Amino acid sequence: MVPRRILHVDMDAFYASVEQRDRPELRGRPVAVGGSPASRGVVAAASYEARAFGVRSAIPMSRAVRLCPHLVIVRPDFQKYRDVSQRVFALYREVTPLVEPLSLDEAYLDVTENAWGERLGVAVARRLKREIRERTGLTASAGVAPNKFLAKIASAWRKPDGRTVIAPERVPSFLETLPVDALWGVGPVTAKRLRERGIDRLVDVRRMEAAALRAAVGGLADWLRELADGRDDRPVEPNRASKSSSSECTYASDLTDLDRIREEVDVMARENAAWLVSRGLVARTVTIKVRYADFSTITRSHSHGPTNDADAIARRAVVLLEKTDAGRRAVRLLGAGVHGLLDASAWQNGRLPFE
Amino acid sequence: MELVVRKSDLLKELSLLQGIVERKNTIPILANVLLEAGPDAVSLLATDLDVGLRSRCEATVTKPGTVTLPAKKLFEIVSALPDTDVRLTEDKGGKSVTIAADRFESRMQTLPPSEFPTPPDDAGADAASLAGGTLKRMIAYTRFAITSEDTRYFLNGAQLVLDASSMSMVATDGHRLAFVRMEAESGVSGKMEVLLPRKTLNEIARLLDGEDAVQFSQGENHVFFRAGGRLLISRKIDANFPAYERVIPKTNDKRIEFDRDRLAAAVRRVRLLSNERSKAVKFVIGKDQVEITSSTPDLGEAHEVLPVDYGGETLQICFNADYVDNFLAVVDTENVSLEFKDEMSQAVVKPVGAEGYDYTYVIMPMRI
Repeated sequence: MVPRRILHVDMDAFYASVEQRDRPELRGRPVAVGGSPASRGVVAAASYEARAFGVRSAIPMSRAVRLCPHLVIVRPDFQKYRDVSQRVFALYREVTPLVEPLSLDEAYLDVTENAWGERLGVAVARRLKREIRERTGLTASAGVAPNKFLAKIASAWRKPDGRTVIAPERVPSFLETLPVDALWGVGPVTAKRLRERGIDRLVDVRRMEAAALRAAVGGLADWLRELADGRDDRPVEPNRASKSSSSECTYASDLTDLDRIREEVDVMARENAAWLVSRGLVARTVTIKVRYADFSTITRSHSHGPTNDADAIARRAVVLLEKTDAGRRAVRLLGAGVHGLLDASAWQNGRLPFE
Repeated sequence: MELVVRKSDLLKELSLLQGIVERKNTIPILANVLLEAGPDAVSLLATDLDVGLRSRCEATVTKPGTVTLPAKKLFEIVSALPDTDVRLTEDKGGKSVTIAADRFESRMQTLPPSEFPTPPDDAGADAASLAGGTLKRMIAYTRFAITSEDTRYFLNGAQLVLDASSMSMVATDGHRLAFVRMEAESGVSGKMEVLLPRKTLNEIARLLDGEDAVQFSQGENHVFFRAGGRLLISRKIDANFPAYERVIPKTNDKRIEFDRDRLAAAVRRVRLLSNERSKAVKFVIGKDQVEITSSTPDLGEAHEVLPVDYGGETLQICFNADYVDNFLAVVDTENVSLEFKDEMSQAVVKPVGAEGYDYTYVIMPMRI
């Protein structure tokens, strides 16, 4: 079989770069996009200037400010990011229909066959990066490899504005150097467990007994073993179906008023309903998440006939609060989500009442 | 084995056998067709383990014997031959067969006939005699309603029901149901019900030509259709078909007649602006008219008014355009009727003035 040419393209510090592009006064300064530190906001994206101070996405903004006192905090404007993202994805789809979005700023492309007629993945990557810069004024990093897992690692190799190629013949030597925690899906906990067993590099996994590996990393074992041999046959899936949607919010001060808690859950449930409608889906299961002031977290869910009706989803989410101590105990975070998704069209074709 | 056969005779049988052989096979021998040369004919057999077809064609056999050859390649080669006699000769050692006609000669690898699975025979089974044309029509009237996605096994086929004076066939995908019943003297006593896989129905329909009778019989796990010297053997679906009588509504109190062609054309035009996924078209039913409408938020909307004779309650029913199309494409009466109760309950479409048969198509309206 001809080796595939897979690209992983990742926009550099996407939200922060968009803000720096649109507001020249932010250029060259440490910028974090996200919520306010006073209201327990988190960092959604950090510019490279901010990253130099250790500011990165998903850390609390309050900590980011401690790390970098001159940090400029910018409120996110998701509509703007979505617009830019759409332009970038439109470009990707000019090159190949096999585009799998991972988020607004990240995608896999299978360019084995491509509309530009380029034979080399690296040539596609070079042209894509140039086009992205011309059309959006932003930079991206690209990884080129024979499969998704290597392409993703490659794109992170040199950032920002990087381009890394792992040619098929270089895969074995590349794997030799790869630490276990470079892998998506291997978090710090798993990495620590592997290190305790003498596994520092991905290739060390090959030496490990199957049972021992399973004991250390559970269901990840088979997957890791495949990757250790550089194998990853997952196709680039342009229409990968979403499996769920959820919203959550951490509150500036803990909530104790049950009416307020209900209202918050109601609003989030409606956001999920709107998301379902926009994607032509219905959901069978509604879930809520409650984190109490002591950080203990519970989820409750309810499955019933599929729907994307905002009132119905909100009602079900609010009723689920009765199965929690929300109100009796102070609440720090609330979330609502939907899963068990079905194509609305299939569901809309009513069922004949056989039973 | 060594024989000579007319190209056109062999091609006809090979083309019927193509439908049986699956494109993707995990068992290599199933990609082959079994040829058995007897005294004055060669018999052919293909099977996918669920459905098999036995046929024969006259041949001048100089050396009887049995071989297997790749069904698709053999068909392609024979199709390409000039219209003359074809000579099939098993080569020394029995590893290959030479196929020759005129100045052309080819040699193809064989697989051992001993590996070829033998389907059961219909010997001794009770036979009913069915009118071929009737059966073919019943298949055409129902097979589009067989589900293409439902994983429920029993829905992956159509139910054939025979009794002393009628035969009927019914299929459903859970959203719509097609039922057809025809007067027929099949010669069975009592009632016989069997669930036939989609592929079997398609292959029987291909075999049937004109009104010639089909001999139908069943064994424990298989059914047999004998028609025009060919025998189709099919596994039965081992499941109970749902109680379909229950979903055919009895209390639909409103009725509208349409000119079939005008309705079909209107739906075909209006659906162009229906949602690509849901394919919904709405029937807005008012006094003496039905307006068929569609819309897609980012695209636009379409509507067409059909004058009808109706004085009942005004209401709107939404249907999947495919479901309506499928029915209108197979009925051949000038008019069709729509019977309904409200927006939510099963609607029934029927050909008006159907003679000698009852055709009932039940559609569950879409939720809007």
